[in-house]
Amino acid sequence: MNNKVLMMPAAEAATEVVAPVRGRVVKSKWTRDLLTFLMVFGPGLIVMVADNDAGAVSTYSQAGAQDGTRLLWVVLLLLPVTYFIQEMVVRLGIATGKGHAAMIYQRFGKWWGLFSLVDLELVNFLTLVTEFAAINLALTKMGFDPRLGVPLVAAGLLLIAVSGSYRRWERTVVFLCLLDLAWFAIAFWVRPPIAQVVRGSLVPGLPPGGITPNLMFLIIAIVGTTVAPWQLFFQQSCIADKRLRFADVKWARLDTFLGACITITVAVCMMIAGNASLAHGFKFSDPAQMALDLGSFAGGFVRNAILLLMINAAVLGTTAISLSSAWAYGEVRGWPHSLQMPVRKAPGFYLVYLLCVGAAAGLVLIPGAPLQLIILSVQVLAGVMLPSAIIFLQLLLNDKELLGEYANKPWNNAVNWTIIVVLFVLSLILAAQVAAPNLFPAG
Amino acid sequence: MATTMNPIENQELSRHFVVVHPLDDVPEEKVDIESLGPMPMTASVRISLLTLRAYLVLMMLLVFYRVVMLAGWFGHHS
Repeated sequence: MNNKVLMMPAAEAATEVVAPVRGRVVKSKWTRDLLTFLMVFGPGLIVMVADNDAGAVSTYSQAGAQDGTRLLWVVLLLLPVTYFIQEMVVRLGIATGKGHAAMIYQRFGKWWGLFSLVDLELVNFLTLVTEFAAINLALTKMGFDPRLGVPLVAAGLLLIAVSGSYRRWERTVVFLCLLDLAWFAIAFWVRPPIAQVVRGSLVPGLPPGGITPNLMFLIIAIVGTTVAPWQLFFQQSCIADKRLRFADVKWARLDTFLGACITITVAVCMMIAGNASLAHGFKFSDPAQMALDLGSFAGGFVRNAILLLMINAAVLGTTAISLSSAWAYGEVRGWPHSLQMPVRKAPGFYLVYLLCVGAAAGLVLIPGAPLQLIILSVQVLAGVMLPSAIIFLQLLLNDKELLGEYANKPWNNAVNWTIIVVLFVLSLILAAQVAAPNLFPAG
Repeated sequence: MATTMNPIENQELSRHFVVVHPLDDVPEEKVDIESLGPMPMTASVRISLLTLRAYLVLMMLLVFYRVVMLAGWFGHHS
């Protein structure tokens, strides 16, 4: 135990108490660093792995099933992009102790705060629908009745969040994140063409048809699924909820970097699985069907593992996205909003979480939606909206009044503006493709 | 108090580190955003925000159009 002097707030001014601080005593610097990292570890890993949600499983496996290993370099290029963007959120969250929505609301005014909030809640809700659509699809392929399975998964998602303990939620979600590593086993199991994978990763190239509208749509979907607007809001609120300290910045950066490495290598594994499906002559329709196709020659392990990982990806995506909505809404409305609080102390926060999960789960049980199209379109929508979200972030990170020494350095700005320009170019290509499709030769 | 300890005990303690979980630690003082108020709306910030607004509206319309075409709701594909 260690004791620290705690000054009480103004209402109890002049009251100085000694608050007990629970800590662990260690003998070496190495152990101290490792333990500190393990205590700080979480938000970065979760935001990155949850980004490989159901839509990502679909987009990456489609990219592999459609173009083999030729687009692996695009995914690898996104590793620094996703890290640099989230690293800015780390600094912002630690320096201010506030969520991203609160930050926009307070620094850019009510109108922009609400504008960002509505954008976020809309894209988040559409994305949540795709998460439950994927759960529905995977359960059906596994022979379970989704009318029973989907509500059960939704109930599980509520249970992991309402315990009133941030740590309990984080441990559960980190465990689910680690399950995602099973994608490595799948990629190994389908016997990847190593030389082809290395070439596709290191040598930028395009599929034989060249730049076609569908290829551009797929690339923008890959970018949209790897770097999504909800991630900015989620990680900053998560850091604020966990009350990370200034001294934790380097560990939070490491957490984010490790998370980025895991999410990108898992994405590569998903593309390798898609590539195996292409190599055996299967036509891609959705990842659940791909699981059945791969299972026909690679065995039941691969089939069941992909279906279960689809559900796991959707569960991770749902808890992170719903929380980003609930935190953002709570911050803007000024409601209590913390996973550390029991339901009775933060009813509005948990109600938004419940509504997000419940409404999306209920919607997918209505039959007839074109699931694959919805999944891909949401990723594209997120990819198109991302440049604007990053510009907000960029303005905040250059706000020296707000961040002081944590504000962007010139090299940060150079990297970020490069990323912003690339994202804008991709979005403009999409716009040109929609407005004048004949500009692009058919593949 | 450290001064009342014998030198060996004191030396032993100084070799120890206390690691505290952020949630168990005393809350840190952060930037007081309320006192800062809104970000100064310089011309560049204002132009950035207006451009963003136009960009978002345009992009959402284009993507919606694209999705509608792909779904074939008007009976043909783009």
